[in-house]
Amino acid sequence: MMFWILGAAMALVAAVIVVLPLWRRGGAQIGHTEGALAIFVDQLKEIEDERVRGLISDEEAAAAAVEIKRRMLNVEKQGGARIVSKGGALALMASAVLVPALAGGVYVLNGAPGLPSQPFAERADEREEDRRIADLTERLRARLLAEENGGATEGWVLLGQTYMRMGRYGDAVWAFERLEEREDVTAGILTQLAEALIAVDQGAVTVRANALLDRALQMDPLSPAGSYYKAQWLEQDGRPAKARELLMLRMRQEDSFQPWMESFLAQINRLGASIGEAPVTLADFVDMPRGPSAEDVEAAGEMSEEDRGAFIRQMVSNLAERMEEEPENLDGWLQLGRAYGVLGERENALAAYRAAEGLLDGLAADDPRRGVVAQGLAANGG
Amino acid sequence: MIPELGQFALALALGLALVQSIVPMMGAARGNLVWMRSAQSTALGQLVFVAVAFGALMWAFVVSDFTVKNVADNSNSLKPMIYKVAATWGSHEGSLLLWTLILTLFGAGVAVFGANIPHALRARTLAVQAWIGVGFLSFMIFTSNPFDRLSPAPVDGSDLNPLLQDIGLALHPPLLYVGYVGFSIVFSFAVAALIEGRVDAAWARWVRPWTLAAWMSLTGGIALGSWWAYYELGWGGWWFWDPVENVSFMPWLLGTALLHSAIVTEKRGAFKSWTILLAILTFSLSLLGTFIVRSGLLTSVHAFAVDPERGVYILALLGISIGGSLTLYAWRAPAMEGGGLFTPISREGGLLINNLLLATATGTVLFGTLYPLFLEAITGEKISVGPPFYNMSFNPLMLPLIFVMGLGPFLSWKRADLRGVAQRLWLVFGVSFVAMLVVWYIVTKGPVIAILAFGLAIWLMLATLQEWGARIKLFRAPFSESWRRMKNLPRASHGMTMAHLGLAVCIFGFVGSSAWKDEVVTFAEPGTKIVVAGFTVEFEGVERVRGPNYIASRATLDVTRDGEFITKLYPERRNYPVAQSSTTESAIRHTLAGDLYASIAAPASEQAGNAWTLRVLYEPLVNFIWLGSFMLVLGGALSLSDRRLRVGAPRRAKTPANVQPAE
Repeated sequence: MMFWILGAAMALVAAVIVVLPLWRRGGAQIGHTEGALAIFVDQLKEIEDERVRGLISDEEAAAAAVEIKRRMLNVEKQGGARIVSKGGALALMASAVLVPALAGGVYVLNGAPGLPSQPFAERADEREEDRRIADLTERLRARLLAEENGGATEGWVLLGQTYMRMGRYGDAVWAFERLEEREDVTAGILTQLAEALIAVDQGAVTVRANALLDRALQMDPLSPAGSYYKAQWLEQDGRPAKARELLMLRMRQEDSFQPWMESFLAQINRLGASIGEAPVTLADFVDMPRGPSAEDVEAAGEMSEEDRGAFIRQMVSNLAERMEEEPENLDGWLQLGRAYGVLGERENALAAYRAAEGLLDGLAADDPRRGVVAQGLAANGG
Repeated sequence: MIPELGQFALALALGLALVQSIVPMMGAARGNLVWMRSAQSTALGQLVFVAVAFGALMWAFVVSDFTVKNVADNSNSLKPMIYKVAATWGSHEGSLLLWTLILTLFGAGVAVFGANIPHALRARTLAVQAWIGVGFLSFMIFTSNPFDRLSPAPVDGSDLNPLLQDIGLALHPPLLYVGYVGFSIVFSFAVAALIEGRVDAAWARWVRPWTLAAWMSLTGGIALGSWWAYYELGWGGWWFWDPVENVSFMPWLLGTALLHSAIVTEKRGAFKSWTILLAILTFSLSLLGTFIVRSGLLTSVHAFAVDPERGVYILALLGISIGGSLTLYAWRAPAMEGGGLFTPISREGGLLINNLLLATATGTVLFGTLYPLFLEAITGEKISVGPPFYNMSFNPLMLPLIFVMGLGPFLSWKRADLRGVAQRLWLVFGVSFVAMLVVWYIVTKGPVIAILAFGLAIWLMLATLQEWGARIKLFRAPFSESWRRMKNLPRASHGMTMAHLGLAVCIFGFVGSSAWKDEVVTFAEPGTKIVVAGFTVEFEGVERVRGPNYIASRATLDVTRDGEFITKLYPERRNYPVAQSSTTESAIRHTLAGDLYASIAAPASEQAGNAWTLRVLYEPLVNFIWLGSFMLVLGGALSLSDRRLRVGAPRRAKTPANVQPAE
């Protein structure tokens, strides 16, 4: 509130400044002619002084004086411009309104009016909290170092993660490094170590970090962090297309939405933009439920009869598995029923349509899916 | 809240600047007095609001408000208070704000103290000043906002570059900027005169005090800058022909030329269009300098590409201000009538030579500064142009300049009698020449140019003193008569004497400290003794010392001469853990005859153990540089205080005629 009052006061002052000449008419104002004449008169006096003191000869003084007098005549001949001392009030008043309005506009673009100042001295609590965390971290570190078996793996991971949050990347590297050679090291720990190393180097993926990523991906080919930083390595290595491809591949390996997908997607599109690829959306990777994509179908077309059958059965069993997790998905059941029908597995088809039938209750009477379910049940002997 | 008020104050200043750039200009064109006078209140208003913004930023630094990004990036809670304050102008954004503050300060100065300037000229000048203000305020607000906020605020700031944590930094940029930016008002006067189409002797008189004020500050700023480099960088040098130094030196050279050519315009009505051109070019060089330094162009041409938004804005600003003013000049200057005639041997002739030499010198420095940039931009090759280039090109240009400087004040206007002058000066010339030979004799190995320069400096000093002595009839009239004459001499003429003497004194320093310096660099272990210029320096060892935000290794040096104890020196190597960098703190024994200068660097290698790189220099006469600089500034101040510069103010005109002039 205080800010708005003071801001308004400042705006008012600015407006008053603009219109001030309308009230305050005093003050010295001289025209060009009188101003110049004053100076020339002074110069004449100066020459006279110098002549009297003997600095210049009478002759020189006379010549200089003639020259200055000529200048005086010149100035008088030119004359001053016509001066109006009234009028123009409207323009000034308009300007007076304009100044605060414009400033307000500029401020709205740049300002953060709600954000209070936080002088260092007033932030003792925050520092206390930070100190407490730092203290706890220090104690954890000391305990882990004191333990005979070198400290529990979880303890070190916790310590490393805390250091990362505190922005002490070097210390985080140190903490994760304790675990690097342990038998129970996981892909997750290795990628965290790699991440800390990358943070230390301000985003640069070093050879060492890359080696860690390779090791992590070997242990867990599906590690999202592993793929993410591996792509960063590829990009920094001058292979953006390959980096994008890697990220896309990892996205395709998921059937449903994962929290890390947003950041993958942003990277994919950033890389895509740099090499002229069209942007992609989340829907390109996870549509629920997902039938065989155009690519899958095309791939199926090129297969032998036998392979194709196996391929389709694989797709269908994938779908069936997913439906166990999402029993409320009506469209999924319908798709599954149709697929079983095509494969000739009538019992399975019937089961799928039965499951779908149970979900019809909430639907409108004229929903086309009611008809689909009825047809399916009938066709499969239900 | 306070940073937000600062932000809003900047926006209001921009609004006022916009009004001021249009309304007074229209007022002057239509003869509307109210519109013209609005420039005075808006100029003051701009100053007030920019000062509020500057104060808000400084407050944020003083209390370490890390919600302001600029503070978080450039300060730290542990930093000593004086450097927190100085950090206000330590960053790109802060220094722009300081720049703008000084810009508005000069505008307000003309609004308040310019009562003797005709209203139309004043209105136009302030309008042009406001154009520059609009350019800088908008640049700051839209690309380099000093009040960008952070939420959540970091726990502590990331410190200021410790190299810059120095009292030199606290004073150097403000002074340098007052000089740089001071020339903005001279530029505005020139552009206003071009628009008005009227440049005469009176115009030159109106502009003179503003030129002097700007020139003084720039001189002071450059001198402080070199002093800072001298004792902070630890190399024992005071001038490196570094581009950052050059960009401040070029406006100084051209500004000096302007100061002199304006005298001719004032006294003789000649050199009009040349004076105008110099005014435009001097400020253009200041702008160029500001932006070359601020855009990071100096470190690499590629810095420009890192921040294209700023780069393009800068280029546009430079293009509009320099290109626009030169176009205006090309269009209007030919219409100016020529001034009085003069023969080659005359005061005018001498000042013309001064101007030509100074302009050529400026061109030389400009070439040396920009050539590496262009080369890198075009071919990608990186080169650096250093002292050898300037020693061969710039220094020889200065020698004839100093010679003419000694002569010039003796010449009379229009046509001078060279023989008469020569008669008056033969003694001076003789003494200088003998002094030169003596110096040559003492320092047999000294380079020729140094001896020549030294002799010329003595020549300049003696000739200047002789001219001053002649004016007051020193030793030729009773002392009381001379005293009276001295008191009656215009202050401007004392100013000239002082400034010319100052330059002579500076040259002693330049030559002494560069040509006859004695330097020893060695690995030192406790007990190591070295001999420099007759001093025996014993390295006693290094101890660790803790400072407020640094840890220092402090060496103790025992200095003796002929077995007699002289002093102890404590050079330091400081390490700033937060900023993760270190600085050299040299230890200096100052005397007028010369400085004994010592600095240490970290042990050469791990194995070296206690061995430190110790550098001890003896720099003869080096303090004369700053003494001379001070005299230059003092000369400017004396000249500025001359009563005649205020003539024309109506209040003065009302002074009863029978009062004795006080000059």
